Amino acid sequence: MSAEMSRRAAPSTKRRWIEAADERARRWLPALAIALGILAIWEALVWALDVQTWLLPAPSDIGIALYQDASLLWTHTRATLSEIVVGFGLALACGVGLAAAIGLSRTLERAIYPFVIASQTIPIIVIAPMLLIWVGYGLAPKVIVVALISFFPIVVNMVDGLKSVDRDMVSMMRTLGASRWQVFFKAQAPTSLPYLFSGARVAVAVSVIGAVIGEWVGSSEGLGYLMLRSKPQFLTERVFAAIAILSALGVGLFATVGAVERLAIPWWRATRGQRANEI
Amino acid sequence: MRYAIQTIGLSKTLTLEGRPLDVLRGVDFHANDGEFVSIIGPSGCGKSTLLNIIAGLDSPTSGVLSLHGRAGSARLGSVGYMQQKDLLMPWRSVLDNAVLGLEIQGVSRREAVSRASEHLGRFGLDGFEASYPHELSGGMRQRAAFLRTVLAGQDVFLLDEPFGALDALSRSQIHRWLTGLWESMNKTIVLVTHDVDEAILLSDRVYVMTARPGSMKTVQRIDIARPRSADMVTTPRFVDLKSALLTSIREDAHAHEIAV
Repeated sequence: MSAEMSRRAAPSTKRRWIEAADERARRWLPALAIALGILAIWEALVWALDVQTWLLPAPSDIGIALYQDASLLWTHTRATLSEIVVGFGLALACGVGLAAAIGLSRTLERAIYPFVIASQTIPIIVIAPMLLIWVGYGLAPKVIVVALISFFPIVVNMVDGLKSVDRDMVSMMRTLGASRWQVFFKAQAPTSLPYLFSGARVAVAVSVIGAVIGEWVGSSEGLGYLMLRSKPQFLTERVFAAIAILSALGVGLFATVGAVERLAIPWWRATRGQRANEI
Repeated sequence: MRYAIQTIGLSKTLTLEGRPLDVLRGVDFHANDGEFVSIIGPSGCGKSTLLNIIAGLDSPTSGVLSLHGRAGSARLGSVGYMQQKDLLMPWRSVLDNAVLGLEIQGVSRREAVSRASEHLGRFGLDGFEASYPHELSGGMRQRAAFLRTVLAGQDVFLLDEPFGALDALSRSQIHRWLTGLWESMNKTIVLVTHDVDEAILLSDRVYVMTARPGSMKTVQRIDIARPRSADMVTTPRFVDLKSALLTSIREDAHAHEIAV
């Protein structure tokens, strides 16, 4: 038994690394193939139908714009990224705090949850311009829009996670003399982590949209601002370049949350893999 | 004589869909200090409810329950309770699962780890302290859960069919192991099981419960000398005891069928 365990646990690090890279390549290959296929068709159509660049740029035009405007795009990407990171961080902090309060107390759940849901019915596009008046023109209104849009999946998922704790596990802890707080921190909170990460992945993807909306209604930098400014100048290829960067940001942030998840809760993946193998 | 656990006329009535349901009616039960007692009975007879009440997770509708002669005291935390599922936390290593009770009691990490390390060998978990539950076999998981219960330091243990999920071979191994552990620990164990062989092999006394509403129907002293082993199941005394217990269980199941 123990010999088998150690053999299983100790394939050489290098081989494991190669296997992991191989596995990763296989996972990304289909998406890459589809992307290349679409780009090729797009390129061919634009050339064949002689579409004007200001109407619809070919992928090659977008590529050229990405290259030529690299430093301009980079400046604005940094601005947007910092709005996303700060806004998402705020959403995470508030979301986890709200979820914990809801999970700890029935009364707080009844008091807070309706407002959490109601907050999602606020038309952000209408509120965003008012935020400019309320909190000023700088980073703050964008951060608030990003946080407003992304805290919801975090709260809802984490509340579900806190509630999904195994009741028998709670009983077991109580027979060991655990207090309400100990049950919360040692059983409920760890149980909720996989749910929290699911929520965070959704949240980080929509936070990109939040940043663009925030910039759209009033700003002097960021990819949303750049798109808004480039469109009337008929720099459509630059608009598309910004869209490409935003997509890449979304995918990259999503993957980053996934990577943090793998590091933070390795047990989740392992037990999930086991369950999948049983099927 | 002061009993480790004593119940007198313990009853429990639940309300299910607006109608009262008698789960336990007048349960008289006791376990002496250091005794190994089993409870067997038809499924749904309220065995688990009884254990929940003894552990302090639930309270009786009427009747008296005392632990070490003290009635009505807060029981949560003073009775070790091992349920059917091992309830190991998947995010904790074997060692961290084992020290959970000590951690809750506020014992320092160093002290808790040193106490756990002393026991790892006896629980067959040596070298697995850093493993996670999903890497262990069912028997090892049960032993890790049992180590968690033992380390918490309570002197009365309730075991609710903890071996039900194990195959016959690991069961007989864990029986031998559990008997050895119990003999060296001077703890009181109450085991709920539906396996009559298991009850006879392990216990000093075996209670038989009636169908719902559950109460104690008979109690049988198991006067087979220890140490006992699995091959004793064919000895005349064992067979006698088993048929007496089975008769008691069947009578009730039969009566229940007629009543229904």
